Amino acid sequence: MSLLITAILFALLGAIVFSLIGLISGTDETAIMVPLTLLVILLGAPPAAVFSFFMAAVLAKHLTHAVPTALMGIPGDTTAVPLIDHANTLRRMGMPHIALRKMISGGIIGAFIALPTAVLLGQFLGQFADFFKSSTGIIFTLAAILIAFFSKGKWVSVLMIIPFAFFIKSLDLVSFSILDKHLSISFFLGIAIGPIFCDLLFATSSSARKTIERDKPKEYHLAPETKTWKGYFPNPFKILTGRQQVFTSITTFISSLTFVFSPVGMTSLMGEIVGSRTKGAYKKSTTSLAVMNGVTESTYIAEVIIPLIAFGIPLSPVALGPGSPLFNAPPVFTVDPINNLHTYLTSWEFFLYGAIGLIIASLIAYPFSMNYARKASVLVMKLVSQEAIVAMFIGLACLLAFHEAQLVGIVLTFTVAAVGGLLNRILGIGAGVQFMIFYASTWIMTTLFGI
Amino acid sequence: MANNHKSPTNDFNKKTKTYLEILGDTILPNQLLFAVLISVGISLGGYNIGLWLLPSIASESMVASYSLLIGILGSVVSLVFCSILFKPKRILVEEETSSESMRQVFKDLQLDPLEELELIENDPITKKELEEFGVLNSFLALREEQKK
Repeated sequence: MSLLITAILFALLGAIVFSLIGLISGTDETAIMVPLTLLVILLGAPPAAVFSFFMAAVLAKHLTHAVPTALMGIPGDTTAVPLIDHANTLRRMGMPHIALRKMISGGIIGAFIALPTAVLLGQFLGQFADFFKSSTGIIFTLAAILIAFFSKGKWVSVLMIIPFAFFIKSLDLVSFSILDKHLSISFFLGIAIGPIFCDLLFATSSSARKTIERDKPKEYHLAPETKTWKGYFPNPFKILTGRQQVFTSITTFISSLTFVFSPVGMTSLMGEIVGSRTKGAYKKSTTSLAVMNGVTESTYIAEVIIPLIAFGIPLSPVALGPGSPLFNAPPVFTVDPINNLHTYLTSWEFFLYGAIGLIIASLIAYPFSMNYARKASVLVMKLVSQEAIVAMFIGLACLLAFHEAQLVGIVLTFTVAAVGGLLNRILGIGAGVQFMIFYASTWIMTTLFGI
Repeated sequence: MANNHKSPTNDFNKKTKTYLEILGDTILPNQLLFAVLISVGISLGGYNIGLWLLPSIASESMVASYSLLIGILGSVVSLVFCSILFKPKRILVEEETSSESMRQVFKDLQLDPLEELELIENDPITKKELEEFGVLNSFLALREEQKK
């Protein structure tokens, strides 16, 4: 019983914190999810509560990041990029609030369809788990090649697999000879905060600085509020038309099964399929938004749950990025040997604690963004400065790295962040590829050089 | 970077470009530097004070976790503190016009407003929805504009 209450409390925490974070536009998903989830795990939260926290955080963040997407025309984060066109059409027609409501209603439906579907599929795939577990090294390497090929940088990512693995292993050997233990958190914190750190490096370089210099502060255009409804907790099914409900349900069901593709890719694909079958600008935009946000949500949730239940190794873009601490957060969770949520929770528990997270996030973030979207985003934009946000994440990264390995951890994190961030920003070798190479590096180096 | 080989000397003459864009938003470099120092100082400081002070109060196995918690509280405090110290640099433009001429929007999107109207008229569900949202009139206004 007390575990249930702990899980509910952590879900509440996740929902509240990430409802606020979602309002800050342009935030990098991995850079924010990873440190905060790591903190919860390292603080000693029980595995079930960690899972509830994560699910609540994911849904809450996606429900409120629809706010900047709809009201200001700026993607809440990378997963909201494909929705921008349709959101802009409605915003320019003077109906951003309708765009927002369609989006978050679609998101809620997507989340609740994805959870049971993903749990069942995960359990089914679990039959093949022994094969996967016995050959993780080669699977990580093959997956690294595959993900690299589909990353933004494409061939350069494939080319950099061996050099980056060499780089990781070298740092590992140096830090091992100092501390006599292998580090892990410092490595993937470095990969996660790479993009932020890369911007900071640009700022300090007298030659690269020009690319990020601006002559005036950034301007945000906020659409006016047109309050057209009463009550506090609107029924998501009433916000969508029957046709939109059907389309959203079907597409989110399908996307819950395709856990190896990127959520952004699935969102664009499904949005395109449904959009091309809908006539009229208004109907097309509203239907596409509901479907797309639903698909983002369901792909995201499925990509975390399916590999967790079936294999215990991160075999999807989301599991490698924002969800990576659920698989690997030494000394609590490890991938090799597999000792993480996969070992601690049964399929039924995944369903139960996942549902707790989703329900609590819906109860908090859904009415919040339906009723107070505009007021809240004005408040956040006027009160919280970007300096403070960037500084906080640098501070958190230092804290976690120091916690793992004192000064060595901090130096290691920022070394990886510098190299990884530049590879990410300039060459398009995404964080997912880098995480995969990190996991594969041991096998690659053993196979090539016998160490 | 393509412009790496250019001489950076003319940087000092241009005082207009004072802002830098970090993670999609503008900041002032000096303020960011101080903010980072404050944040790192408070969170690492809090963590180390915890490590030093807690062993006499808490059980040994929990010292690291509690210290981490103090560190996190420190970074939240620094978020509030830095936000008060360094105000946001965003310019917030609150648009008042909601129907920035619907016609212009349709023109930009290369859509035929009459076709859109016809679709809405023939679709009772969409029409009712627009009416409930209170935006049906701005669509109907399209016809008036078109007639002129």
